[in-house]
Amino acid sequence: MNWGEQIVLGLLLGGVYVAVGLGFSLVWGVLNIVNLAYGAMVMVGGYLTWLLFVHGGIDPFVGLPIDVVVLFGIGYALQYVVINRVVRAPFLYTFLITFGLDLIIVNALLLVFKPDFRSVTTWYSGAAFAVGPVLVPYIRLWSLLAAWALAAVMWWILNRTRTGDAIQAVGADRDAAQLVGISLRRTYALTFGLGAACAGVAGALIATFQAITPTAGEPYTLQAFVVVILGGLGRVSATVVGGMMFGLVEVLAQSAPHLGAGYQNAIAFGVLVLVLLLRPQGLLGRTL
Amino acid sequence: MTQPDDVLLSLRNVTRHFGGVAALDGVSFDVRRHEILGVIGPNGAGKTTLLNCICGVHRPDGGEIRFDDRSLRGLPAHRVARLGVGRTFQIVKPFASMTVRENAAVGALFGSSDARLPTRGAFAYADEVLALVGLAPKRSLPVASLTVPDRKRLEVARALCTKPRLLLLDEVMAGLNAVEVDEALEMVRAVHASGVTILLIEHVMRVIVGVCQRVVVLHLGRHLAEGRPADVLRDPRVVEAYLGERYARRHGGD
Amino acid sequence: MAVETEPDEGHVAAVAVRTPAGARRERVLVVALTVALAALVVVPLLSTDQAQSAGLPEVVDRYAFRVATIVAMFVVISAAWNLIGGLAGYPAFGNVVYFGIGAYAVAVLVTRYHWSFAGGLVGAVIVPAAFAGLIGIPLLRLRGHYFAVASLGVAVAVGEVINNLDYFGGASGIFMPIVRSDLLFYYLMLGAALLAVAITWVVLRSRFGYGLIAIREDESAAAVMGVNTTLYKIAAYALSAALTGLAGGIYAQWNVFVNQDVAFNIDVSIDSILMALLGGIGTIWGPVLGAVVLEFLIQTFAGRGDLAVVTQIGLGLLLTVAVIFLPRGVVDFFGGRSSLGLTYVKRTLRESGV
Repeated sequence: MNWGEQIVLGLLLGGVYVAVGLGFSLVWGVLNIVNLAYGAMVMVGGYLTWLLFVHGGIDPFVGLPIDVVVLFGIGYALQYVVINRVVRAPFLYTFLITFGLDLIIVNALLLVFKPDFRSVTTWYSGAAFAVGPVLVPYIRLWSLLAAWALAAVMWWILNRTRTGDAIQAVGADRDAAQLVGISLRRTYALTFGLGAACAGVAGALIATFQAITPTAGEPYTLQAFVVVILGGLGRVSATVVGGMMFGLVEVLAQSAPHLGAGYQNAIAFGVLVLVLLLRPQGLLGRTL
Repeated sequence: MTQPDDVLLSLRNVTRHFGGVAALDGVSFDVRRHEILGVIGPNGAGKTTLLNCICGVHRPDGGEIRFDDRSLRGLPAHRVARLGVGRTFQIVKPFASMTVRENAAVGALFGSSDARLPTRGAFAYADEVLALVGLAPKRSLPVASLTVPDRKRLEVARALCTKPRLLLLDEVMAGLNAVEVDEALEMVRAVHASGVTILLIEHVMRVIVGVCQRVVVLHLGRHLAEGRPADVLRDPRVVEAYLGERYARRHGGD
Repeated sequence: MAVETEPDEGHVAAVAVRTPAGARRERVLVVALTVALAALVVVPLLSTDQAQSAGLPEVVDRYAFRVATIVAMFVVISAAWNLIGGLAGYPAFGNVVYFGIGAYAVAVLVTRYHWSFAGGLVGAVIVPAAFAGLIGIPLLRLRGHYFAVASLGVAVAVGEVINNLDYFGGASGIFMPIVRSDLLFYYLMLGAALLAVAITWVVLRSRFGYGLIAIREDESAAAVMGVNTTLYKIAAYALSAALTGLAGGIYAQWNVFVNQDVAFNIDVSIDSILMALLGGIGTIWGPVLGAVVLEFLIQTFAGRGDLAVVTQIGLGLLLTVAVIFLPRGVVDFFGGRSSLGLTYVKRTLRESGV
């Protein structure tokens, strides 16, 4: 087994997990909502990218902004109209409602796109360049860069804009934020929309190297959860670390002797257990 | 180390940290049988942390707590309760979906070893205790319909149902007006008369002076002073702790 | 608000106090349930060959049997979930893992070790309970989201592992010897459903039940009152696992075939929670009502291809709507504790929404 290659691949895969983790972490950290429909939203992003590519000839990376806008809109609407109605109820209810949304979204995708696998194959899909003995596929490298760019944008939004201030205020103290005039309804919707936009980007990136089908998003929800716990809830930097690490772990674990691609969920769960037992606040999190 | 006969609870050098801050720093004092001991101190003095350490909600980082000559080290909260330590919470924690009667009965169902009764007996005992605190007419109501003073009474009743030998009261008087405080004082005296040793955290000095035989003062997690209420409240160090150094200097500490 | 003069001892009130109208409604419900139970037991007997040859009318056909058996199965699973999710307040999202473990226990014990079906069922109860007892120790230390997702993770992880191991037949699963008797499995599931309801009834009246509800309402207050929270949580979890495993064990033999998709289907978990929700979480009859209504709906609209997909969408919509407008379920209404009107809905929205 080529260690170097595994590590490089792991880091490249980590980029995807960074994108996957960012949206999930934001919604969880600010709204205290664990979004069980997250994997489905990722797939929506993937299908959107596929549509743009197959019917519009738009390169998946070029189409990212469209992904962002559309998914943001969907997320904003969902939060404003539906999820906002239960945010102050016990968490069981937000859990159930996001699962309901997951059912709706996945099955709507099934209805429209059928369960066939779709892929996005660009002219450069197979191209790679060599770094020593390791072959680095261009697509994976650009995905990684796109993910980091997304992280940078998210960090900038959250820490350098007034919107970000409002979001962080609401996340820190909902009642105090209301007292200073921040609209909870709109801020929540904004936050969820941003989370959905991240999911859309993640989906676009995934579509470039993996065949997609409506149910393929399912493992990503659990993985997003683990990425956030691994890195630590609440900060973009923590999610970046968590995502990269998780990519590494996944690649290395899957190349271990008895495991393989069929153990995706089991590996994610194993990491979850380890983190919760050994360092529950995550790698970068503050001590609870 | 064994305790002398008249000491029910003893703390030696109890320490508890949160993050880098020492909420409790080497606190030592005794609670004698059948007394009402007050614990006072400015906000942040560590009073609630003290109760949490005694009843097992938090584990002290250092020091020794002995109850009736048994070490409480490492015991989970329910074991401490079974040994006979009852406790109320500063922000009351009723079981919201149960009635008043059922709340109190939980104490009787699970409390100290000689208290744990089968269901019917538990409810009968709960009724008695509710009568003691004056909640009998409201016993079938859901807790949501109770007023603040009544919720405090329920909190005390529920703890009493565990048949404690030591009852820890955490700011029972908070949020009560003058009349309600008087009623609550009556309740505390009645509880004491039934043979329970009481450790009372309070801010309302009238209560401390009115019902406590001795007082311990905590400040910044440390034991500051101890003695009879009148003496302690005149102690210049205590005044300074509450009102600040400048006030103490300005008013000569007397 | 009317106040009861002498409240039931040992009967835990859900939210508000029973009104006279509510007490009447509850009596009607009890009578209706008794009649229904008698019918459930007796009517299917009319379909036996002996009854048929004696000329008795066949009131229900084979299809109805199957639907009824599945409904009974969901009553068991939903009532079992209710113990840990509704009473103790720890909403496990992966309880289907015990269904699967119970199913595979029967499958493995019967096909590999040549046990009888009855013996297999004993295994289907004990193995999940033991597993739950073990994994509950770390799992139940978690709260809220962490617990819910971790329990979900257990289910997907165990399903995946079993799918990959040859001992369990791998992806091809295990085929059981065929037992052709719809009647047998109907009565078995019905028995299991009655057992589940009976256990819920007993628990709600016992010290154990009070302890669980105290844990749900305020765990630290419960601990300080003397409730051994760790023990009680694990006991509730193991009990719910045992019941769920029983359902899985019966299903394994009935379905004759088990594999990961059959045994570890997350939809089963979600459906059972939705049923408890619709009926009323934490009540005795909530899961029963919810299971009956929802499963009938599902079976009515079940179909192939696009219809199955649309049914799932319908389910998702139902779940969403139920969570928003009806979080305390319908049984609340039958107990007279609230009236299912616009005011109730508006109040719910105001309390839960933003």
